[in-house]
Amino acid sequence: MSFIQFEKVEREYIVGDSIIKAVKEISFSLEEGSFNVVLGQSGAGKTTVLNMLGGMDSPTKGTITVNGEEISNLGAKELTSYRRDKIGFVFQFYNLVPNLTALENVQLAEEICKEPLNAVEMLERVGLGERKNNFPGQMSGGEQQRVSIARALAKNPQILLCDEPTGALDSGTGRIVLKLIRDIARDMKKTVIMVTHNAPIAEMADTVIHMRDGQIIETRHTEHPRPVEEIVW
Amino acid sequence: MVKGALFKKSIQDMKKNRSQFLSIFIMAVLAIGMSVGLDTIWTTVYEHSQSFYKATDLSDFWISASNPSELNLWRVRNIKGVQKAEKRFSINNATAEIDRKPSLQIYAVPSENTLDMAEVMTGKRVSKRGAILDRSFAEANHLSVGDSLTVKVNDHKIRVSIEALALSSENIYAIKDTASMMPDPKGYGFIVMDEDQIASAYGGVKPYNQIEVQLTPGADTAAVQSQMDSIFGKKLNFVITQTDNRGVNFANAKVIQFQSLATIFPFMFFLVTALITFSTMMRLTEDQRNQIGILKALGYSRKSILWHYTSYGVYIGVVGILVGVLFGPNVIGRLLLSKLEHLMTFPIEDMVVNIPKFLIGASIILLFTGGISCYSCLKLQNETPSELLRTKAPKRGSHILLEHLPYIWNRLKFSQKLIMRNAMRNKFRIIVSILGVSGCAGLIIGALALFDLVSGIPKTLYDQTYSYDQKIILTSGTTDKVLKNLHLDGTVQNLEETSVQLTTQSGLRKMSVISVFSKESPLIHLKDLHGNSVTLPDTGIAMTRKLAELMHVKAGDTVNLKRSGNSYYPVKIIKIVYMPSSQGIYMTDSYWQEIGEKYSPTSVLVKWTHKDNDFLNSDYVASYTDRKTQKSDFESNLSAIFGTSFLLILSGAILAFVVLYNMGMLNFAERVRDLATLEVLGFHQKEIRPLVLMENLFSTIIGIFLGIPIGKILANTIAGGFGDDFDLISHVTVDRILIAALITLIFAAIVNHVVRKKIKSIDMLQALKSVE
Repeated sequence: MSFIQFEKVEREYIVGDSIIKAVKEISFSLEEGSFNVVLGQSGAGKTTVLNMLGGMDSPTKGTITVNGEEISNLGAKELTSYRRDKIGFVFQFYNLVPNLTALENVQLAEEICKEPLNAVEMLERVGLGERKNNFPGQMSGGEQQRVSIARALAKNPQILLCDEPTGALDSGTGRIVLKLIRDIARDMKKTVIMVTHNAPIAEMADTVIHMRDGQIIETRHTEHPRPVEEIVW
Repeated sequence: MVKGALFKKSIQDMKKNRSQFLSIFIMAVLAIGMSVGLDTIWTTVYEHSQSFYKATDLSDFWISASNPSELNLWRVRNIKGVQKAEKRFSINNATAEIDRKPSLQIYAVPSENTLDMAEVMTGKRVSKRGAILDRSFAEANHLSVGDSLTVKVNDHKIRVSIEALALSSENIYAIKDTASMMPDPKGYGFIVMDEDQIASAYGGVKPYNQIEVQLTPGADTAAVQSQMDSIFGKKLNFVITQTDNRGVNFANAKVIQFQSLATIFPFMFFLVTALITFSTMMRLTEDQRNQIGILKALGYSRKSILWHYTSYGVYIGVVGILVGVLFGPNVIGRLLLSKLEHLMTFPIEDMVVNIPKFLIGASIILLFTGGISCYSCLKLQNETPSELLRTKAPKRGSHILLEHLPYIWNRLKFSQKLIMRNAMRNKFRIIVSILGVSGCAGLIIGALALFDLVSGIPKTLYDQTYSYDQKIILTSGTTDKVLKNLHLDGTVQNLEETSVQLTTQSGLRKMSVISVFSKESPLIHLKDLHGNSVTLPDTGIAMTRKLAELMHVKAGDTVNLKRSGNSYYPVKIIKIVYMPSSQGIYMTDSYWQEIGEKYSPTSVLVKWTHKDNDFLNSDYVASYTDRKTQKSDFESNLSAIFGTSFLLILSGAILAFVVLYNMGMLNFAERVRDLATLEVLGFHQKEIRPLVLMENLFSTIIGIFLGIPIGKILANTIAGGFGDDFDLISHVTVDRILIAALITLIFAAIVNHVVRKKIKSIDMLQALKSVE
């Protein structure tokens, strides 16, 4: 059995009188330690996949198993524990707590995790050791995203989920952020699932799941993903 | 078309923020309703009493002088400042020869008199043999126009025919004697007859004992009175001013009491409403930042955008004001006036609304609803549409003072650090919340204190000061000697209560009640301010604290006491006693005789071992009441104030709830993103709840503490606003503070419960989507 397994997963939303199927019976599996990209236009259902995997949303049908444990039927409280122990999140808009310093934002992880990593070391690892006492409002977007990566990884999660992490950044800064995610994940042997609408970025992934209209149109494995430095967008 | 679209948007926005709008609406209704409602009480009493005084041509004072000569009357008329002076005969110990022998106050007046005319309600006085009878008295005793009535006065019987029923300005609060507290129309009333009729009871000579004096507006009362002194000299017994009249005094007291209540409490309501409305409207408009940008980008004019946002506040303010002005007089006003109606004989059915004060209140509300939304929209108007459309960067975090104390700071959890930084960053909102809560807690404490103040008066008087079972009012012929031979079975204390005129060295004069009794005083227990027992001095008098204050005298000073047409007696104030109500002076029977007066008890106080019904039904007894009846009568006398205090507690509690709810919701709205972030990170509900709840709880608790001094100030101000007859000392007791705290905390808990549910229902995905 694979590390992450989606089996005939479906997610419906009821909006007013109509039912919208954001994800339609998709199945896929991902290996531990791999770097994966879910690619698709907006509305393709990729964020829904990420949210279900991250325990922020549950499927209406089908099963999701992570490391042998079925998460698709967990209650709200168990999902919180799942997020707490297994998942690291990086968002398009960073979602740092504005009233905590960079260091404190990373230290949030320490407060809730069983085996957290050292917050100062994590900040140094993303190159922000000098700015640890700054508030998010005092930092650029790229810096904030790096703090967010440090925070996600300080939890020492099994899975790192990234939702358009470069969406709000210029390409230069985006490249730095992507490289950081790629390198740290490789060093720390984390499984990464990244959502993007940006096709070139997908070239850095071991596995690319291409979605359209809630369905997987292609799953592509590469033995030799391209290094971030070579990707142009 | 354009306007229609914006109007629809207003309606949608209001729906979206309905809880905020609802709370502003409730606060506006409460503030306007309370202020207009409480004002209605005193304006109604004031307007009706004034127009009644005017209609009946009420005198400014009455000179008590036996058989004044025409020359003296002429002299009085010629004093500068005197408009009219007329003589009449007034006596209050007549009885009606009907069942139960009720007492009558007789006014025998020359037919040409115009002052103090009773207002005839039914019938018409035509003949000299006719009489005008007190309408309430007639109704209670089933007498009507056309009936004849025999009146016994000076041991003579006069038969009159009732030709009219009327109301009298001098008897708007018709109280027979010092034993009664509640008007008893069956037992006491007034009758007006012609001077010729009364003559038959006085050997055919028309008796006169009073000169009614009406002053020109703005006349110098003191100057007029001193000239009158020189005209009458020793023949002048005493002067009763309008304020010495119990009816006028009672109406005045209600006016003063409600004037003060209608100022103090609504002030707090407006203050809290202004504060909360201010922070809420600011917030609501700022939330619309993007929308303003869109409207600007679409090309809406500055003016129409400004009005669009101002209209939010204006609509809700106007609706609140309208409902408030309907609610105040019709609910609060009617409720409280109904408790006064049976006490006063003049009609108060038509309510009088204090329009100027309503307009001031309404402008304050509009200023804080429409004004604030206009101001905050104006502030945003200065930015370009592109700036407005760009999402506003989240406010920067900043370091706080406590961080310089690493010993404490480093031990704090993140949630605690976050709570403190949030608190520091939102100082304004938190201060507003704390002040709002403290205002409400203060209001509740003040309203409870008002209840205690008022209910404390009969408790002090009838549970502590007096310990008799019954107060028995004697008929005027009953002498000290008769009483000594009675041998009533129980503890007995004789008491003479009468009116005297007091003058101070500085010329201040005042009618006062004097109570004369034995030094032992087994049934009247005078106390000083601190509750220590006071025994009457052998020589000199004891004076109540409030009277001393009003006359600007203190223990050791001398005042002149005048009675029975004789010269002034200088008497020394030896002791100051405390009486919450009924101010006056006290002296022993032996000192009373020493200064030349005859001790003739007006009543007997008895604590029975065996009740002597024979005595109670004897000719010696004019009337009697139980102490318990007096106490409950006193309480129902003040029922309008009790009602007010309940209304204030209730509305204070509602206001507290609204304030807390608003505060909780604003705090929650500001925290949603943080909460969602933490939730995604895997924080459990119970770990993130404190972020919002702690702040609410802390501001509530601090607010309650700050509310204590506010409540005390309110209580003190109220205590001082009860009029000259009352001497109230506010005690804000711990249990009252606890009740107020409990009410506030219960509401805080309810609000926290709602917030807790809201936290649970946060949609993480939605909350984190963008920075909007």
